[in-house]
Amino acid sequence: MDVEIYFDHSWEEELEKRIEQDGPWGSWPLFQSTINMERRMMVPDFEGLLAPSFLPELTALPHQLEAARRVVEEMNGKAILADEVGLGKTIEAGLVLKEYLIRGLVKKVLILAPASLVSQWAHELTTKFYIPAIAQKKFYAWDEHDIVISSIDTAKRSPHKEKIYEQDYDLVIIDEAHKLKNHKTKNYQFVRHLKKKFCLLLTATPIQNRLDEMFHLVSLLKPGHLGSEGQFSEQFKKGDRQVQNHHHLIKLMNKVMIRNRRQDTGVEWTARKVESVKVTFTEEERSLYQALEQLVRSQPDDVRSAFSLLTLQREACSSKEAVFFTLRNMAKKLNGNHLDFPESFQNALSHIQNITHNSKAEKALQLVQSINDKVIIFTEYRATQLYLQWFFKQNGITSVPFRGGFKRGKKDWMKQLFEKQAQVLIATEAGGEGLNLQFCHHVINFDLPWNPMRLEQRIGRVHRFGQTKDVCIYNFSIENTIEDRILQLLYEKIHLFEQAVGQLDDILERIDLPNMQEHLVDIFQHSKTEGELHVKMKNLEAAIELANEWKKEEERFSEERNSSIS
Amino acid sequence: MKNEIHLFLEDYFKATECAFLEKTEGSLSVKLTPAIDKELMNRPFYWHYAEKTGMKAEPLSVTFITDQTKIPADLEGESIHFGTPRLQQIFQSAKEHTRFIRLYEQRATGHRQPLHPWLLINVKVSYEANHKKDIFYSLGLNLINGVIQEEFMDVLNRKQLVSKIPDFSFTITPLIKPKSGVKRLQRFLTSQLEKENHQWAVKAQKEWEEDLLLLDSFYEDEEKPEAYFIEKAALEKQYSPKIDVNIINGGVIYLHS
Repeated sequence: MDVEIYFDHSWEEELEKRIEQDGPWGSWPLFQSTINMERRMMVPDFEGLLAPSFLPELTALPHQLEAARRVVEEMNGKAILADEVGLGKTIEAGLVLKEYLIRGLVKKVLILAPASLVSQWAHELTTKFYIPAIAQKKFYAWDEHDIVISSIDTAKRSPHKEKIYEQDYDLVIIDEAHKLKNHKTKNYQFVRHLKKKFCLLLTATPIQNRLDEMFHLVSLLKPGHLGSEGQFSEQFKKGDRQVQNHHHLIKLMNKVMIRNRRQDTGVEWTARKVESVKVTFTEEERSLYQALEQLVRSQPDDVRSAFSLLTLQREACSSKEAVFFTLRNMAKKLNGNHLDFPESFQNALSHIQNITHNSKAEKALQLVQSINDKVIIFTEYRATQLYLQWFFKQNGITSVPFRGGFKRGKKDWMKQLFEKQAQVLIATEAGGEGLNLQFCHHVINFDLPWNPMRLEQRIGRVHRFGQTKDVCIYNFSIENTIEDRILQLLYEKIHLFEQAVGQLDDILERIDLPNMQEHLVDIFQHSKTEGELHVKMKNLEAAIELANEWKKEEERFSEERNSSIS
Repeated sequence: MKNEIHLFLEDYFKATECAFLEKTEGSLSVKLTPAIDKELMNRPFYWHYAEKTGMKAEPLSVTFITDQTKIPADLEGESIHFGTPRLQQIFQSAKEHTRFIRLYEQRATGHRQPLHPWLLINVKVSYEANHKKDIFYSLGLNLINGVIQEEFMDVLNRKQLVSKIPDFSFTITPLIKPKSGVKRLQRFLTSQLEKENHQWAVKAQKEWEEDLLLLDSFYEDEEKPEAYFIEKAALEKQYSPKIDVNIINGGVIYLHS
């Protein structure tokens, strides 16, 4: 085949000049040495990874090297990196980037990450990979620097957006890419219009169970890989929620996605020790919990639908402050912006006032004191976070808060304070992503999220590469409440905690209940009463048990078949 | 054994006339010359200030560690290995300093000897599509009779070459001008490259076509939107095969026949 050949003619022009003016000429030993170096740095083969030999101080794990190799060799630099939390997706992306830089296939790079992770990306790339990456701060960064890291929220806004559209990127890396699953959002449209030769999408959330999201994510990477939207629905969708041609779909996905699980990595993991800590309400707390039910019942029908009893009760299991905060917001909604609470709220409010102790907080205090080491406390509620901070201070324990909404600098600062000075870090849900806290190995789940993936992300903050000690997880729940039942179903019936890390989504996948996530949303977000929740939970439980049985049977069957062959 | 980076740095600082302060098997301490300080240390304001005020400028001394396992425990310095920007920087500087060379062969003989002019070029040929591979060529051209010698560096490495014309030697004036000599070597290289079947390019072409088909099918029912054309252009950039030929360095070498 004929291939276009391009000669660079600048050398011969310059040679003529040097001959005319008799020099300057280079030194022969350095000339020889330079040629040796040049040859050493050439790309000897189309295949294989050069990056590791350029990074002697980086100990990349086998699954990370293999991932990088597959992306470069087999996937043509377009891939979804979907390893489980804590397996080092950033390392894989760094390896791919370094490989392409060494090979000279990539020069101009855009990295989009959540605002909270921008400085961390810059730090990792410069220190671990010797890649001169710049965290975007100035408007002119886009054309001034070759490798720029930015938050997508900044990048998609004018005037940045227009400037970015002008750039011809060789590689675009998007961290936390599951946020792009909705193709109608500005974020999605923005990414779709980037000029990009190679592209990496990083996500820890398994996308297999959501067909549409999967379709849109893959189409961002490689439009047409799963066909057009119409072809895709026809081929793989059955009704609203079911999948058909499952195996064919998995085959296609494996061409664009790498998903390592913890148990496949061959790395020894420290253990997870899980302890359920049951706390009993004081009488006052119990009566608030019950009063909330009356409060919701007493609302007229049209108003009642706006109330989520479940939400309120889950808050009551966390702190009265959390309940109060929600009640105040409801009152505002009902009364316009009047600050007066409606009459029907008074009973619940007086119950709040009667509460003098927070049983869970006291339990947490005891635990923190007895651990006498760094502890992370996760709560779903801002109000609880504030309360706990105050409460610990009263009792002579130093703590720092952590929230997703903090600016980059503040996050780094808080992390540092926690590492160097404070004993406790109190984080809300959004604080989870990308926070590496291997120096700590005690986690208290002050209240429990209903979504098990979120719990996995919480634990993933500390139980990741670099953790040298066993990780202790304490799950708090109040006896005989909704919380107790969440814990029972999700975390005891399915044995989620006893499983090695990350098997969770494995289970959710293999259970083959498509849209497990949707079931959970339905149960925990849409159930109006505990009774409804209870029934739905029972159903799910039964379905899971059945799926597990099928799975076992399937395994037995395949074992028998194997043994009969041998 | 000193590693290849260590040897390279020694050659570099020797050639650029920086003074060695201390050497171990795994480290090098050097006092930079003003010229190399300006090239490597990135402190233009200092030099500007010194020159404006007439202050006596002091070039820096630096310590590079090329092998952590072979240095005294208390030695501090900048670690340097493949992949560090510092090595890239020094390598670029070394390339700048050695792009052109003129050498004479030295032989211990007592009578007058003619030296024949040769053109040397060291070339990096890059096959590039979605993957990439480099091939090194070292070519020599006799500027009198047009003979082409491959692997020319290997030949030269075995000879005693010096930068000043030795006593008792005289050079023969080239019949072929060096610039047209470069052209001849380019033609030679082109014919070599055209002989190959370039399976890599065929493969890239095929993958390109496949991806184009996918892209077309994605937008089958629609008026093609802007995103289609962006993606299409990106595929071209990703897959279109090409060969880049760059001369790394070279020069004129006078050799005994």
